[in-house]
Amino acid sequence: MDNIALETIGLSKRFGGLIAVNAVDLSIREKSIFSVIGPNGAGKTTFYNCITGFYAPEAGEILFFNKSLVGLSPDRIAQMGIARTYQNIRLFANMTTLENILIGQHHLLKTSWVEAILQTPRMRREEADALNEAMRLLRFVGLSGMGDQVARNLPYGAQRRLEVARALALKPSMLLLDEPTAGMNPNETMEMMRFIQRLRDELEITILLIEHDMRVVMGISEQIAVLDYGVKIAEGTPREIQGNAQVIEAYLGRAATAAA
Amino acid sequence: MTRHIRNGINAGIIFGIVTIFLFMIGFTTTISDLLGQLLRNGSSIAVMGFTPGIFDLLVFLFFIGMWAGISGAKKTPDKIDTWGTVLLSSGIAGLLHGILVGGLALLVGSLLQAGVTMTVYFAQLLPDAIHLFLIGLNATSAGSFYVIFFLITGLIGGVVARTIRYGSWRQNLTAWSKNKWQAFTAWPQYQRIRHNKLNLFVVYGLLILIVFLLPQVLGQYWNYTVGTVGIYVLLGLGLNIVVGLAGMLDLGYVAFFAIGAYTVALLTAPAPHHLMWNFWVTVPIGILLAAFAGIVLGIPVLRLRGDYLAIVTLGFGQIIAVLLHSDELTAFTGGPRGVAAVGGPSLFGISLGTPEGFVYLILLAVILVIFVTIRLRNSRVGRAWEAIREDETVARAMGINTWSHKLLAFAIGASFAGLGGVIFASRNQFTGPEDYNLMVSFNVLASVIVGGMGSIPGVIGGAFTLKGLPEVLRELENYRVLAFGALLVVMMLIRPEGLLPTSRRKMEIKELHDPDGKEAGETPGGKS
Repeated sequence: MDNIALETIGLSKRFGGLIAVNAVDLSIREKSIFSVIGPNGAGKTTFYNCITGFYAPEAGEILFFNKSLVGLSPDRIAQMGIARTYQNIRLFANMTTLENILIGQHHLLKTSWVEAILQTPRMRREEADALNEAMRLLRFVGLSGMGDQVARNLPYGAQRRLEVARALALKPSMLLLDEPTAGMNPNETMEMMRFIQRLRDELEITILLIEHDMRVVMGISEQIAVLDYGVKIAEGTPREIQGNAQVIEAYLGRAATAAA
Repeated sequence: MTRHIRNGINAGIIFGIVTIFLFMIGFTTTISDLLGQLLRNGSSIAVMGFTPGIFDLLVFLFFIGMWAGISGAKKTPDKIDTWGTVLLSSGIAGLLHGILVGGLALLVGSLLQAGVTMTVYFAQLLPDAIHLFLIGLNATSAGSFYVIFFLITGLIGGVVARTIRYGSWRQNLTAWSKNKWQAFTAWPQYQRIRHNKLNLFVVYGLLILIVFLLPQVLGQYWNYTVGTVGIYVLLGLGLNIVVGLAGMLDLGYVAFFAIGAYTVALLTAPAPHHLMWNFWVTVPIGILLAAFAGIVLGIPVLRLRGDYLAIVTLGFGQIIAVLLHSDELTAFTGGPRGVAAVGGPSLFGISLGTPEGFVYLILLAVILVIFVTIRLRNSRVGRAWEAIREDETVARAMGINTWSHKLLAFAIGASFAGLGGVIFASRNQFTGPEDYNLMVSFNVLASVIVGGMGSIPGVIGGAFTLKGLPEVLRELENYRVLAFGALLVVMMLIRPEGLLPTSRRKMEIKELHDPDGKEAGETPGGKS
């Protein structure tokens, strides 16, 4: 049960003189919900981009089930089982809901372009199975009946859920969510929290979460790491983090710590 | 209120400038000739007291004036405009239109009376053209005539605009056609035909038969024209994969066309290599060489995106053009003089090198290419291309190897161009560097964009519009480029998605209503 899904050792990324991520050590247990929090510009999204291969870190190591991810291309990392969503929703806006999900399944399908032209029986079977799987995911995220709608026309909440469905289509063992409740009202936020817990409980996916809403973070995380100016200043359970003086200082400034 | 006045002023100025522009380039003379032939077979009997030429011109200007009025009476969103406001804006538009055009009439009329030769400054301002424009009156009366004429036509435009917008006939017509259509589709015979595959085959069979019989009745000239359009359809479908599906802006597409053409030319012609191979052998070679060139170009440049890719491919197209022109390579490519006596196709000893033969060949090629495009588009590969077009970064994060898919798009697009080039050179029995200039790339790109990016009917429609229309409008030869430019501008303004944009494939609905399809439901949320 205590398998480590993702581990970073001394991970650093700099942009010119700015050290966006500074020697961060993290280890995330398999099937846990782990949150990374921190003030704006703390380096959370940069941290994500290092893990998913869009940035090459200057120093440090990233291990995913004991395999190094450093130097691998983003598509290779996605194929290994790390899927992500974006802070500002990034769907394939002019394609339908189902097509978006089918794209998530891309690496699981084997049809080559020659087979696609010849439409071999294997290709037909694979496409039918993929479509079935996409419909299943559609129901799982509660978007049945919206499969043929162009993603751009979906309501905001549905777009968020579609982005998750697309990520799930990769059959990932780890899901990186970047502010999944941004722009949601309290009801929708509660729904999203339950949904994230369902992902972990039913699909047994390890969840790494960036989130600003403290109710969400404290409500569902098992472990929390706090970044400030690229440095990890604290790590622990929600209770430990809430009482940590350094964290309060990072969020509210020194005066608040003195008052507390 | 100010909104309506502003709309009217805008429309009046725009249409005033347009009408003045049309007169300055001599279009008024041409259109009146054309309308004369069209309406009265060029007879010179006076109509309604007007000299025929003047009458034709006024017919044309009547519609322009009305259009100005319609355009001035722009609709207020979510509100029914009253007659007063509509007539106010269309009236202002018409009046301004008239003052601008009338002012010009006064100016050129007075200059002509003063004996100034205006052709020195504007080549089209011949005395005849000016007399026509002044509709046989002197400068002052022509000027005031235009003010009144355009005011009235503008008001008529306003009336038309309001009637069209709010008339009850509009709802009636929509309801009527909807009813009729529903009645038609509910008709049992229609249902039976619609859902019986055999009948569909018969319909398609008939369509194909008609298409294949057409070249027999068309005659030489039209067959040649249809063939030219067909080759552009081939090029358009190839570029459609690169630009429309994979979203890479390729401005050097003509290079692959040239490679296909020169392959067949050099391999079948007596000079400069005296190889004289069979045409059919050179077809796959031309296609493969073009695809290979696509890969060779693609490997270094495909990490570039957008504008940068466009510039590099533009350069590649120019390099090929320069190489073909080069004297140094005359021994190999025929140099600036090109390659003559390119071999044509024959089957069982019968030559297919006639315009009809080529129409068949091109038709076959187009059908093949459409088939390949549809199959690819509806597969994992096509979805990956569209994902790259929509958002390349996210596509990578979804596990798509963007580099190999972009390379594949480039190679397949290039191979279609290669096929087009092979047929093109063989049909002309000649190929020279002049055939492969930048304009080819631009024309093909324009036909893809005008038609609708990524859409197959769009590309065909675009090729017909951009290559076919100019052939039909031979009369307007001088304005072809003007019309081309204007069409692009207007298209992008009013219909940026293209003439026949793609419709997304419906997959969920089909699944739900497919009676033969297996039950799609399993336990939701189960671990897969």
